[in-house]
Amino acid sequence: MAKYVEVPVGPQHPALHEPIMLRVKLDGEVVEGVDIVTGYNHRGVEKLGEKNSWVRDIYIFSRICGICNAVHAQTYTQGVEKLMGVEPPPRAKYIRTIVMELERIHSHMLINAVMAEAIGFDTLFMLIMRDRERVMHLKEIITGQRVHADIHIIGGVKRDLKPETAEKVLRVLDYIEARLKHYKKVFEEDYTIRKRLEDVGKISKQEALKHSLVGPVLRASGVPSDVRVDDPYSAYDELKPNIVVRHEGDSLARMLLRWDEALESVRLIRAAIKNMPKGNPVPKAIKRAAGKGEVFSRVEAPRGELIYHIVSTGGPKPYRIKVRTPSFNNIVNSGFAYIGERLADVPVILTSFDPCISCTERVLVVDEKKGLRKWVPFMALSRGEIRVA
Amino acid sequence: MSPKLKLLREVISNIFSRPATIQYPREPAAVSSEYRGLHYPDLNKCIGCSLCMVDCPANAIKMVKLPPDYTNPKNPRGIYPVVDYGKCVFCYQCVFVCPVKAYITSNKFDMADYVTHNSQALSLKTIRKGDKG
Ligand code: SF4
Ligand code: SF4
Repeated sequence: MAKYVEVPVGPQHPALHEPIMLRVKLDGEVVEGVDIVTGYNHRGVEKLGEKNSWVRDIYIFSRICGICNAVHAQTYTQGVEKLMGVEPPPRAKYIRTIVMELERIHSHMLINAVMAEAIGFDTLFMLIMRDRERVMHLKEIITGQRVHADIHIIGGVKRDLKPETAEKVLRVLDYIEARLKHYKKVFEEDYTIRKRLEDVGKISKQEALKHSLVGPVLRASGVPSDVRVDDPYSAYDELKPNIVVRHEGDSLARMLLRWDEALESVRLIRAAIKNMPKGNPVPKAIKRAAGKGEVFSRVEAPRGELIYHIVSTGGPKPYRIKVRTPSFNNIVNSGFAYIGERLADVPVILTSFDPCISCTERVLVVDEKKGLRKWVPFMALSRGEIRVA
Repeated sequence: MSPKLKLLREVISNIFSRPATIQYPREPAAVSSEYRGLHYPDLNKCIGCSLCMVDCPANAIKMVKLPPDYTNPKNPRGIYPVVDYGKCVFCYQCVFVCPVKAYITSNKFDMADYVTHNSQALSLKTIRKGDKG
């Protein structure tokens, strides 16, 4: 049997959702293999959805994720609308799109900030998070809360977008756009960042397709796949988003791609506000019962393709709802990307997948030869301050 | 200017500028008027239809009897909703669904306390004096 040291990264992190464990097998500093262990956070959301009405479920499913709540609500409501034969008014579709694109901007800013922190560039983390707060504020003035939008309702949205709010959004977007360009440049040109991210966790096009990776991870490996373009929903058929693709397939490409996507989102929001149709986006009455049937609904979440399979046997409640989140594909299937890298690169690669977790706060270092166990902080690990030998 | 120099300049100027974070609770947090905060039903408007209770995803709403000295002809069942703020997730489905727009909304968010709060006292205050008994 080969002698290696096993380092469990995770599974607990108090700050973010989705605890996960990476059991990293090391030969010296080099990763020989990674077991990805999930299942620490079973919340029973799908079962809860079966027990509640169609309307209540909008809020239940949007609470699967804090960052991507509007896209979860979108995937669920667009599926239910299809099932019920309800068509939301065009203005509602535009408002939903604006909220979802704002979400994409702040999600991409967040993960780039987290990456900066993971590689020890805390100043950059602080600056990005400060600017991200402006985007959160836009979400607050449009929807009523900076995190949970809760603007979707079957057949439309719950609030109209006021002209003065739209103006404010456009004003703040000018600032955000300049900052996004600046941060992209920092990621492109900064020596420290390049040194940590370039050629780390490289995934080829074939590997990305073979392991069913989705979203920015897939696009950074040269595959132009985006649900917004492939299967347009909401206002995307009219807004025509451009797919951002990079070909390097390393961690740096994944991060830079996110900056480009955020800039594309800025363009989309501007276009949505400019071409916003008139009319009342708020439905007068909500449909409460669906007929028999099954729908399959998909949306491009900030992390990739999000899928809902909704089954109805008729009546006021769904029979079954199956949710497939993009992080599931990107995390569970990506064990191969760590092999051959150094231990200190493991957090970098994991962060570059935008895992919606930062379960890796603490690390238990097990020295199998001496039988020693030691807890070390995630930050120390990511900065290479610990030696396992 | 190279991005690194720009970053450095920003960092130095930040040392002398006002902190970006808000010193809550010493300074009030800037919350927009659009914020979905504390809300309670106006008993003069509520017709006791219970729709808000049916739709509340957090089961935060209970229907209770109106005080015995108050009757409202618009509310034949004589019941009104009480929101448990400890359970409420502030989705505003209740506000949206209410057929008579009975909910009074605010952007008050700081409800953390040692005791649990509900909307009962606030709702009872909405009863106009002339309407009593
Ligand atoms: S805001 Fe939402 S959670 Fe709170 S009482 Fe109303 S429906 Fe229930
Ligand atoms: S929905 Fe409105 S009218 Fe009906 S019980 Fe609730 S507050 Fe009263």
